[in-house]
Amino acid sequence: MDTIPVSNLKDRPRPPKPEEVELRFSERAVKELEQLLTHYPDKKSAMLPALWIAQREYGGWLPPEAIAEVAVRLQRSYAEVEGVATFYTMYHVGHPIGRHLIEVCTCLSCYLCGAYRIADYLKEKLGVDWGETTPDGMFTLEEVECLDACDRAPLLQVGDQYIGPVTREDVDALIERLRAEESPTTIRLADEIVQAQLHASDQEKVRG
Amino acid sequence: MPERRLLLEHSGDPEYRTIEGYEKTGGYQGLRKAVTMDRQAVIDEIKKSGLRGRGGAGFPTWIKWNGIEKEKTKPHYILCNADEGEPGTFKDKELMENCPHLVIEGMIIAGWATQGDKGYIYIRGEFVDCARSIKRAIDEAYAKGYLGKNILGTGWDFDIYVHLGAGSYECGEESALMSSLMGERGMPRLKFPHAPLPTVAGLWDCPTVINNVETYACAPFIIQNGGEWYATLGASTKNSRGTKIFSVSGHVNRPGNYEVEFGTTLMELLEMAGGMKGGELKACVPGGSSVPILNREMTEKAVIGYEEMVEAGSMVGSGGCMFLNEHTCIVTFIWRTALFYARESCGKCTPCREGTTWMVQILERIREGAGKPDDIELLRDITKMIDGRSFCGLGDAAAWPVAAALRVFPEEFEYYIGHGRSIVQSPEGLAMMPESDLARV
Ligand SMILES: Cc1cc2nc3c(=O)[nH]c(=O)nc-3n(C[C@H](O)[C@H](O)[C@H](O)COP(=O)(O)O)c2cc1C
Ligand code: SF4
Ligand code: FES
Repeated sequence: MDTIPVSNLKDRPRPPKPEEVELRFSERAVKELEQLLTHYPDKKSAMLPALWIAQREYGGWLPPEAIAEVAVRLQRSYAEVEGVATFYTMYHVGHPIGRHLIEVCTCLSCYLCGAYRIADYLKEKLGVDWGETTPDGMFTLEEVECLDACDRAPLLQVGDQYIGPVTREDVDALIERLRAEESPTTIRLADEIVQAQLHASDQEKVRG
Repeated sequence: MPERRLLLEHSGDPEYRTIEGYEKTGGYQGLRKAVTMDRQAVIDEIKKSGLRGRGGAGFPTWIKWNGIEKEKTKPHYILCNADEGEPGTFKDKELMENCPHLVIEGMIIAGWATQGDKGYIYIRGEFVDCARSIKRAIDEAYAKGYLGKNILGTGWDFDIYVHLGAGSYECGEESALMSSLMGERGMPRLKFPHAPLPTVAGLWDCPTVINNVETYACAPFIIQNGGEWYATLGASTKNSRGTKIFSVSGHVNRPGNYEVEFGTTLMELLEMAGGMKGGELKACVPGGSSVPILNREMTEKAVIGYEEMVEAGSMVGSGGCMFLNEHTCIVTFIWRTALFYARESCGKCTPCREGTTWMVQILERIREGAGKPDDIELLRDITKMIDGRSFCGLGDAAAWPVAAALRVFPEEFEYYIGHGRSIVQSPEGLAMMPESDLARV
């Protein structure tokens, strides 16, 4: 069976010491984190939201520098933050992904409704297998488990959007549309997730 | 029985998502009434209603609310499980997208009843539309004074925060959800009686109520119309009251959410969803991927109710009801189910971590035509080693579907092992299968 991808140990750089970490969050990101911290009684609990901010700030994935920055900002160890981030499939730890992540649900209802044929078509069309990115850095293809919109099977997720039920023609149209898209949907997804966690009053404070 | 839309009555009306539209239909009247009542009286109404948790286990809701300390020594938390991850289920999604105020009002009522300080709604990361809709509703509720300081002039303060997950089925398990919310890997915690109940020591070791989205969404109706009224719904069943939303998917003509009174039959549900598509009914998984599979005869007899469904051979579960037509290979379906659990196992305990992987390996071997006659017994053994022996419910949920399929459809496994290929060879059936199956025809 498939193995769960883990980063290649020998290629991993030594985690930076806190004092070596270069803090790169934008001013907006710093303020957002400040507001999110007010939602919880301790800093550690802001871990998931902080990782979402980091994923947006670092271009849709989490390089070691992003993990290190979250660790410094939340006063946790690098290992702890990395350990948390690698548990969740929506954080892309240690490996960049394309501008658009196309996630194909092949779980039960989608498989019953032909998801594997949609998957074959996408693999052929993009020339990539699961987990791979097209050479132009445009698309990454991933298989996902039930997205819980099985009434729309077979279903795809791209960025913050669910698309389904899809046919081959829909796939063609989607790829066309995404190629013309100006901003990477992977970054937009992270931003939408951050914004949804802020109250209107928090957002006002962020805007200043 | 026909469909009975209580929670979903106004779902689909865009105005209902706004606070003005919601108030027009009687929204926030439940909360207005609750705050004039004694806290214990609110809990008593929930008790009279017979409401049981809609997240899967069907635990009586009032017992959780009543378990929160009455003499306050610590902050109290109201937690909403909106991590909907069970394959086949999409009811919480519709509630959050289309009826966000219903969920929020339910959480505020729970907060009032238990002297809550803060509420958190943990939404799976993929559900961005839900999160946006809930966030908008929360902002509106603050502006109208249903949240924040001195709610409705009672002197009581209550806040609700949205917290998004990041991709993990296991985070729907309540103790894993709390770990995740507190910034850890989504792994479950030791449970009662080895550790205190969440109502005693949940989030940050403080008293915590945790309920499913649909459970909270029932509360406004119960308080507004009374527990006794609510309990008249589903009165034909042994011990299931009210309505339940079923997410119907698979081989049906009109997949979608259908809200029914307990006591409705699975065949009536199938009819609501427009009947079978592409072939005759072969099997049904009525309550999400975790529950035992039913064959046609069992499905035809099944009545929807927590106890009734167990008698029928399965469970109400989360209400993710998948209908499978005659072209479905049960071995492939069960392999795909097992693969889901193997991928989602958090890895904390050995029976589930190893057992789910072994089940996939054996099923894969069968699917590749290299199955051995002993494999059926071996699979059965593994399900027994996982069920009841794993650290959290995910292990049990992984074992049940496999064990049930071996019991209900033994001939499909025997055929596959004996002939090295599926009993299903129709073009429609082959068109569903993943590559390794197709490659062999
Ligand atoms: C592996 C696993 C996944 C679960 N996923 C969910 C879920 O997505 N949503 C949910 O409400 N309950 C889920 N549950 C059930 C919860 O643990 C818990 O019983 C529920 O949130 C309690 O709410 P209720 O009493 O309102 O049903 C899951 C349980 C297990 C074992
Ligand atoms: S049963 Fe064990 S390994 Fe499986 S999800 Fe629960 S704790 Fe993790
Ligand atoms: S199986 Fe694909 S969304 Fe549920």
